[in-house]
Amino acid sequence: MLVKLWGVRGSTPVASPAVAGFGGNTPCVQVTGTDGTELILDAGTGIGALGEKIVGRSRRVHILLTHLHFDHIQGLMFFAPMFDSDAEVTVWGPPAAGHALRDRLARYISSPLSPIEIRDLDAKVAFVDTPREPWRIGDVEVRASLVAHRGPTLGYRLAEDGASLAYLPDHEPGLGQRLDAANARWISGHGLAQDASLLIHDAQYADDEYAAHRGFGHSSLSDALVFARRSRPRRLALFHHAPGHDDERLLALGAEAAARWSDLGGEATIEVAREGRAFDLSNEDDPGPLGRGFRGEREAHSG
Amino acid sequence: MAEADAVSEVPLELILARNLVSILSLAAFVVDSDGDVVFFNEAAAEVSGTRFEETGSLTRGEWNRELGPFDEHGRPIPYDELPLAIAAREGRPAYGRFHIRTDTGGLIEIEAGAVPLLGPDGYHGAMVVLWPLERTGQSTGAREG
Repeated sequence: MLVKLWGVRGSTPVASPAVAGFGGNTPCVQVTGTDGTELILDAGTGIGALGEKIVGRSRRVHILLTHLHFDHIQGLMFFAPMFDSDAEVTVWGPPAAGHALRDRLARYISSPLSPIEIRDLDAKVAFVDTPREPWRIGDVEVRASLVAHRGPTLGYRLAEDGASLAYLPDHEPGLGQRLDAANARWISGHGLAQDASLLIHDAQYADDEYAAHRGFGHSSLSDALVFARRSRPRRLALFHHAPGHDDERLLALGAEAAARWSDLGGEATIEVAREGRAFDLSNEDDPGPLGRGFRGEREAHSG
Repeated sequence: MAEADAVSEVPLELILARNLVSILSLAAFVVDSDGDVVFFNEAAAEVSGTRFEETGSLTRGEWNRELGPFDEHGRPIPYDELPLAIAAREGRPAYGRFHIRTDTGGLIEIEAGAVPLLGPDGYHGAMVVLWPLERTGQSTGAREG
């Protein structure tokens, strides 16, 4: 299972030389199964470049939306396969009372917010509520569960051949409880993240920023690290960077995270998620972060 | 870890309800879809005289044996008549008035309101708020609902 990050920024895209290192696109993660199955986690602005790469090549694409906040769907209308009449796109998303997924997304892909209507998409597009039980897409087992964020929001776990990806880009499990002391079964998202090969997790706020944003649905760096410590993934990628965190700030936060992680006794390798980063989860020796990657980034960006 | 071995997580609706109840000064508890008490807060502990940290989760039977509820004569009230059971059965908020046993062995009259925790995929349990009437001087001795 191959994983590639196409958008790592939270809230709103940022275009500036100051964020060129980590990237300014909002969440989008490509997952390619060993049988070639293409799954895309979230449709933030990062999906635009991904679409250009796979249009005409991948006829069947599955987009798994965690939720419908704008930073996670903004790229849908700029995803080239949506306008390829030979493409079949299945959009999965969280169930919500009262309105079908297609109708909820049509609020965005419709006038006056959009020049086209959702019915005008050329591809064969299906909109499907995620089931409660795990299901398969190709050879990949997919599991979705509601997690702590504002509004119906899913976390995902994708698994294939013993490798697994846990994706919780918008997640505030520490709201109302101490993550270091809580029973693990009572921690939002724990069941998805436990022992994953790679955990991609929300770490939007520095600790000193969190107090002013408590309840917004995102994690402080400390909570992200403690959540990971409890979940024991093999690798951790800190994700959903605040728009105001430029490369310099993210490098500083990465250094702080590495030090804190060491203090926590964490065994996973950690890194600050960066656009373009790819992981081969079927390869145990993927150098990934493991500290090395982070230092490499720091050297690259400080040069 | 094989995927089949993944730890089952408590539904988010219960997690958030517990987090909310845990910080309330109003006596409240949370039950799961089986009717078992999975958490009660400090204010509820003051009413019952038993702290959650001491008991942990309680099955429906254990909770009923310890606390009740009872009618004004101390007779157990059938589960199906409780607001909690109505909330679970009918998926709507429900209200009732009855007695529970305190740690001193006496009975106090309370009002209880149950809110079903209905998520997109169904019923996960309920949040129940308790209001001791005798403490507020509102006891009427009557049982309603």
